[in-house]
Amino acid sequence: MTELNGATENDKVDAVVQGVIFLLTINAKWSKTMKRKINGIVILALMVTAGCSSRSAVTAPEPGGSQAPSPVISSPVTPPVQTIPLPVAPEPSLSVSPSGYGFDQWQTGPLGDVFFDFDSTVLSGEAQNQLKQNAAWLQNHSLDGALVEGHCDSRGTSEYNLALGERRASTAKQYLVRLGVASSRLETVSFGEERPFDTGLGENAWSKNRRVHFVIKK
Amino acid sequence: MYGSALCSALKVLRSKPMFAYPIKTFFVMQFYRYVVAAVIIVLCFPFPLLAAEGGEYIAIRKEGSGKIALVLNKLDAPVKDASEQAQSLDTIIHDGLDFTGLFTMISPPLNVKDNSSRVNFGALDSVGAAVYAGGSVTNISGAVSLDMEVYDTSGAKLVLKKTYHGKQQQLRTIGYAFCADLVKLLTGKKSVFGSKILFVSKNKDFKEIYECDFDGHELRQLTNSHSISLTPALSPDGRYLAYTDFSSGRPALYIRDLSSGTTSKIDKSGICIDPGWRNSREVATTLSFEGDQALYLIKVDGSISRRLTFSKGIDLSPSFSPDGNKMAYVSDRNGLPQIFIEDLQSGQVNRLTFSGRYNTQPSWSPAGDKIAYTTWESGGEINIFVIEVDGSGLKQLTGNSGENESPSWSPDGRMIVFASNRQGPKKLYVMGASGENQRPLMQSEGEQMQPCWSLFSP
Repeated sequence: MTELNGATENDKVDAVVQGVIFLLTINAKWSKTMKRKINGIVILALMVTAGCSSRSAVTAPEPGGSQAPSPVISSPVTPPVQTIPLPVAPEPSLSVSPSGYGFDQWQTGPLGDVFFDFDSTVLSGEAQNQLKQNAAWLQNHSLDGALVEGHCDSRGTSEYNLALGERRASTAKQYLVRLGVASSRLETVSFGEERPFDTGLGENAWSKNRRVHFVIKK
Repeated sequence: MYGSALCSALKVLRSKPMFAYPIKTFFVMQFYRYVVAAVIIVLCFPFPLLAAEGGEYIAIRKEGSGKIALVLNKLDAPVKDASEQAQSLDTIIHDGLDFTGLFTMISPPLNVKDNSSRVNFGALDSVGAAVYAGGSVTNISGAVSLDMEVYDTSGAKLVLKKTYHGKQQQLRTIGYAFCADLVKLLTGKKSVFGSKILFVSKNKDFKEIYECDFDGHELRQLTNSHSISLTPALSPDGRYLAYTDFSSGRPALYIRDLSSGTTSKIDKSGICIDPGWRNSREVATTLSFEGDQALYLIKVDGSISRRLTFSKGIDLSPSFSPDGNKMAYVSDRNGLPQIFIEDLQSGQVNRLTFSGRYNTQPSWSPAGDKIAYTTWESGGEINIFVIEVDGSGLKQLTGNSGENESPSWSPDGRMIVFASNRQGPKKLYVMGASGENQRPLMQSEGEQMQPCWSLFSP
């Protein structure tokens, strides 16, 4: 019936769809550059037909708006951290007044540090002797445990040194366990190159930093 | 080209066979089709400049010196209130575009506008400008609008005209939005505008994680552990921050959801260090709770998905191919650390680096073809190298400049950020992907290290 009066509503829709398809067909046939162009045109056309202004506008998101991530700043810092000190100049030797992380414990504590060669986790004869003394002390003080800290010198990269420090700590722990110290009394941790005993440069400082350090835990 | 468009249009218009409809219906429908097609054509073709020119500029750039000669004219402030904002936006846009290394910034000639305030293309031509950008700024009670126009000076074609809105506290966001559009228009690719760089900053005995814009501005502190926080890694979608932190007394891995602020902690016995994202739901990290230091894949909720490496010794510093199917990492299975690539589907492992005795910190390029890494050289220097994924094309990017570490690619693959002690304390630097134009990222006190450049902002 309606056909006799001309196109139906469906046919009109069909015509519109085909009009769009015609543009898509052109899109498929043209070169990449032209594709980009026509894509832009289709989008523009859609914007225009949707009643948008022909002049597009961008609105910057508002900080603290509903989509903004919740604050993760613990304390906002204005231009980079004024309080960070410059690195300490290398000391020629430790002979004057040595100081540094773990020094007191190393100097006076009952459990002596053990030292390693570069990139090594092998226990030297000297290191084994020190560990034997440490094991004897631990067996005489059976209520105390120890934190076994692995450290590295500042050379190499810090990620690798974290892993290396842990291997040093676990090597020392395993040696103590073989000497009869209960494994449950010994906890290992690696500080990599983050807590140097001597912040200087040169083998004199580095050799002091490649160590396993013990902290007694009551 | 319009001709071929019309031919295609006619083909489409004829595509439905005549016999499908009674003859009158056919003609009526045909009428509708022509009307629709004509309306769309009329609507489209007044604005062909916007999208069409990108490809042409890319061609120009490939043939030319590699840089686009740009005149960025001083922004007008027709109403007095906005002169301060105009000046700030001038600097933000100029420095932002200059940072990309894509442009030769040419000072505007004195007669860049003619007597009737129109762009003087003759003057632009005489200074060798290929592109002109200029505009004006208004400020209505704190609401800033930046009106920009960009011309291709050959032929005086308007290629971009757009207004950017924002509050006056957001000038950087407004300016970068224009810069991003301009670079996209001229290169056809996304730009670094909107990306972030995360890094570690040392403060006395503490190390905390910070973030800044791609160009070193807008510094923010992300951790306040009063301890050692290390190796920040942002998920590809920018939602999760993974890092190692000693605040519990041992190195534990934390995954913070930056959108909700919640944090999950992976606290296995042993170490838990140096995360690298495989995709936005899975991160690989080194754990040692099973005795050996091996790489494991962890979900964002902190649960272990699976173990990835099984060799004896240290495996760490994972960096994934863009499709997440391959992982570059460091292993000391042969003695000193070298870089290996594991195919996660087949399990096959290949050694990547054979030059240099101590190679660490691999960073897979966003395009997927290259890996940047550091070599600790026998003379004591640490230098950054780039190698093709198949092991060919080894190229040294830094040299004679102390220790250069922790390379991380910009999201567009054009630049690399890294840490260097070339001037004393460790600072962040950026360079082009071939090692050119090495310069400090920011002026800052103290030491900064372990930068991680985010992928594109969503």
